[in-house]
Amino acid sequence: MSDKDELLRIEGIRKTFPGVVALDGVDFDLRRGEVHVLLGENGAGKSTLIKMLSGAYHPDGGRVLVDGEEVHIRGAQDAERLGIATIYQEFNLVPDLTVAENIFLGRQPRRLGMIDRKTMEADAEVLLKRVGVNVSPRARVRELGIARLQMVEIAKALSLDARVLIMDEPTAVLTSEEVDKLFAIVRSLREDGVGIVFITHHLEEIAALGDRVTVIRDGKSVGQVPATTPEDELVRLMVGRSIEQQYPRERGDTGPALLKVEGLTRDGVFHDVSFEVHAGEVVGIAGLVGAGRTEVVRAVFGADPYDKGTVQVAGAALRGHDVGAAMAAGIGLVPEDRKGQGLVLDQSVEENLGLVTMRSATRGGLVDLKGQRAAAARIAEQLGVRMAGLHQQVRTLSGGNQQKVVIGKWLLADTRVLILDEPTRGIDVGAKVEIYQLVNELTAQGAAVLMISSDLPEVLGMSDRVLVMAQGRIAGELDADQATQDSVMALAVSTNTVNTEKEAPRGH
Amino acid sequence: MATDTLRSGASAGGLRRLLLDNGALTALIVLVIAMSALSGDFLTTDNLLNVGVQAAVTAILAFGVTFVIVSAGIDLSVGSVAALSATVLAWSATSHGVPVFVAVVLAVVTGIAAGLVNGFLIAYGKLPPFIATLAMLSVARGLSLVISEGSPIAFPDSVSHLGDTLGGWLPVPVLVMVLMGLIAAFVLGRTYIGRSMYAIGGNEEAARLSGLRVQKQKLAIYALSGVFAAVAGVVLAARLSSAQPQAADGYELDAIAAVVIGGASLAGGTGKASGTLIGALILAVLRNGLNLLNVSAFWQQVVIGVVIALAVLLDTVRRKAGATPVAAGAGGPGGKGRQAATYGLAAVVTVAIVGATSFLHNDSSSTANPKVGLSLSTLNNPFFVQIRSGAQAEAKKLGVDLTVTDAQNDASQQANQLQNFTSSGLGAIIVNPVDSDAASNSVKAADKAKIPVIAVDRGVNNARTDALVASDNVTGGELAAKTIGEKLGGKGKIVILQGQAGTSAARERAEGFTKGLKAYPGIQVVAQQPADFDRTKGLDVMSNLLQAHPDVQGVIAANDEMALGAIKALGSKAGKSVSVVGFDGTPDGLNAVKDGTLYASVAQQPSQLGKIAVDNALKAIDGKKVEEMIKVPVKVVTKENVAGFTG
Repeated sequence: MSDKDELLRIEGIRKTFPGVVALDGVDFDLRRGEVHVLLGENGAGKSTLIKMLSGAYHPDGGRVLVDGEEVHIRGAQDAERLGIATIYQEFNLVPDLTVAENIFLGRQPRRLGMIDRKTMEADAEVLLKRVGVNVSPRARVRELGIARLQMVEIAKALSLDARVLIMDEPTAVLTSEEVDKLFAIVRSLREDGVGIVFITHHLEEIAALGDRVTVIRDGKSVGQVPATTPEDELVRLMVGRSIEQQYPRERGDTGPALLKVEGLTRDGVFHDVSFEVHAGEVVGIAGLVGAGRTEVVRAVFGADPYDKGTVQVAGAALRGHDVGAAMAAGIGLVPEDRKGQGLVLDQSVEENLGLVTMRSATRGGLVDLKGQRAAAARIAEQLGVRMAGLHQQVRTLSGGNQQKVVIGKWLLADTRVLILDEPTRGIDVGAKVEIYQLVNELTAQGAAVLMISSDLPEVLGMSDRVLVMAQGRIAGELDADQATQDSVMALAVSTNTVNTEKEAPRGH
Repeated sequence: MATDTLRSGASAGGLRRLLLDNGALTALIVLVIAMSALSGDFLTTDNLLNVGVQAAVTAILAFGVTFVIVSAGIDLSVGSVAALSATVLAWSATSHGVPVFVAVVLAVVTGIAAGLVNGFLIAYGKLPPFIATLAMLSVARGLSLVISEGSPIAFPDSVSHLGDTLGGWLPVPVLVMVLMGLIAAFVLGRTYIGRSMYAIGGNEEAARLSGLRVQKQKLAIYALSGVFAAVAGVVLAARLSSAQPQAADGYELDAIAAVVIGGASLAGGTGKASGTLIGALILAVLRNGLNLLNVSAFWQQVVIGVVIALAVLLDTVRRKAGATPVAAGAGGPGGKGRQAATYGLAAVVTVAIVGATSFLHNDSSSTANPKVGLSLSTLNNPFFVQIRSGAQAEAKKLGVDLTVTDAQNDASQQANQLQNFTSSGLGAIIVNPVDSDAASNSVKAADKAKIPVIAVDRGVNNARTDALVASDNVTGGELAAKTIGEKLGGKGKIVILQGQAGTSAARERAEGFTKGLKAYPGIQVVAQQPADFDRTKGLDVMSNLLQAHPDVQGVIAANDEMALGAIKALGSKAGKSVSVVGFDGTPDGLNAVKDGTLYASVAQQPSQLGKIAVDNALKAIDGKKVEEMIKVPVKVVTKENVAGFTG
């Protein structure tokens, strides 16, 4: 049964986290010299799967075979020994070390106990040439742009003599020119016999680059098809049901403009951004990562400053860079980084739910803890937060329930304009639908919702209008009825805006 | 967790849970049991109240630090701010006649101001809390020295009652500690600012995006810490009836240790007032118990360090074992592992403490020998080590059980040690005060208990001592001045290295130098700088002075250690173009005199001081009459007479 070209085989892998079954019976295999695409929605389990191969997680069931032998990958060292290298969406590079140092981090060639810089830089040069990138090995990683960072990561993987290279959405942050270059490198690696696991959301990339496709849905592998499979068929496999069911948006009547943003500009980040969100309306913001979407909504919420423009809520102008003023006007923000910005992970459900209302529940310096508890209990019940009790630490909740807590704290504060930044990232399908229902209830009560999402079907399915951002500007606005994935993507990658400035470097 | 309340019944199961959930409490109980088993004097009402008093200052400081640590900051300045607040109170009330009530308000305002500056630098200046409060540590200490001009200031009597007892048995510092603890618990648990501390400490960005005014809260948090520091400073000074500019030196570390032992994480977001109280009590029980057990002063520090590490380790291991995901089935293998870990570590701690103390404490029990305690100001200096050697040799000869403690130049630690001596019923106490004013309350207490007190080297003010055994510092100072004057032929430039500001020895010797130099108008003193009786500081200060005055011909140092530091700085000049005169006649000093690098040392006879003090203590125990003032002669040792001289 074993194929001599087979590098890697996964059989019936299972992995559970408290409250969530992340993977439940996934099969996968990889041959020498092929690009095998992993396709699936956000939260389908792709990241969990590759974390098993890199040693970050250990499976609860099933087998992993490398070269036909069962292996247990318990850490990065095991993965490295087996020749498996992973390039994550977030790079694992040390900004203040040089390119060469990053490539050989922890394995620097040594002579007499000292790092042999000459050898290290010469070796790095060879690797960098192989990936076809023109970077000095002595350059500091901090000074490089996103695309080059990725090339450095690939060079690092090559330096490990990786036979299996896993790439998690490598094209999400690249321009189309950079994508072409990346594809050329991937193809040459394939010719060298490297097996590549490629994760992407861009269906057109599958036909351009892939050999085979494995589709994962709700933690199960639902099919393995050739890369030439038509896109419609791939989508059907991936979603497994009609889009109307998954995105239960109920459009109602819209009222007056609640949020009005005019000419909002922050030099070097976003420019001349204007839009309105009406009562009872959901406005989606689509665009590539790095297009400036999060930066705009953070500025609207007052979390970051802006240089020009105005923000008005129900006709009244808001002071810039003042979260308190934005909140008082009824704006709430559910941030993109749920754990890093939305929750106090070591505190309880009750305390997190009460965070926004704590000040208004304070009389003479004392917090009305009883009232806070009653309110938390009511909202947790209403949102159906699955927990052991109000005292459970938020850290131990599943992603979907954590997100409900973040949204819940804003619901308690009678928020009129709710900004959702990637509200369903990493959340299972069931919880997603519950969050969509919440959005429906909010707009039915006359609130306005502004939603950023990188998940195109979600933006199309849940928004009434879609704003598309590209390179810090609004590239266009589409009515939800007319918008398609193609039309949104066309705007998202458009460079024909009057923009002449370069995208500001983003820190990592 | 911050808000969990233990509603478990009085059942044994409830108690077990309480102990399992609270590593620090377990450690405290283990310690108390161990100490009671080892020392019959430990588990008495008097002694337990002593422990409370001794924990009070650390605990009050630590309550303030708890606020800061819960909000993921750190406050290193609390010890200095405590000293500054007390100094401001004493300075305004005693020296400037400000009404005491206003002076108390001023002290609290001082604490708030220091805290606000910290908070401002951190919240708006974006300085790391470590750096901002480290700067305040230095500034506040410096200001308290500036205001007090380096000398202790008597504390107003009305405020000094804070250091007394109520009804003759209940110490006020304990009451203040309990009150401040309740306030801290209330602030943390119920108030807006308290709840904000947990949110900010847990995730500052999430708190900010939820509308908490993080910067304003930080200002208030550090200000609160300042208030608690001010209260601690006032209590400390009240106990000693004197505001000492050098008080509470290093207490910030004790306070931080207490908070962390109490279960708070330096990463922020967790911590409770009750835990902090337990942490402070653990430190106090340890110090008290080790004193009672007569553990060598040097080993005490080792034991304290080990126990701090073990107490926190106990808590960490317990948490780790308990941190298995809730959904993975509570009470399963995780629960068992957690119990085993706790019991295992508790056993290790017990064995370590019992083993260490019984191994270390000098066997002194059940003999009919007279017992004497000797509290030395420091053992960091050969002079005092020699006092100890002289005393120990004499005690051995006379069959006296001698317990020696080291106050590490901290007046309040000495007060604790004297209190422990008094409550363990010694026959006599020999005290070498850190500060002559600050020791008075403790000596009064010993007088009340009818325990004879012999002061050695430095006197005690405002309290009766049966005898003072001392060298004459003023005469010695004059002799030093005379020696250098004659050596330089009555003409030349000299510098003077002074002792630690605030100590009587430094003052008296300086007085002697001035008196003695009057006879030599041709001698010009080009600089006088303190070098704190310390060799390293002597080296640094002398190096700096040489930059400004390369042509000095003579150096008078208020002790041999500083003289030896100065000799290092002078290099080959020492003993040739520059003559150095030291004070004390320590073995190192005498060796330098032999080598010719030190021209002369005004030699005290420290081992004689120790010997005579023990002799007199024994006389007092036997009810014989002792002289009130016993002067041990000083003499100038130069190369000519060094061979025949022994301390």
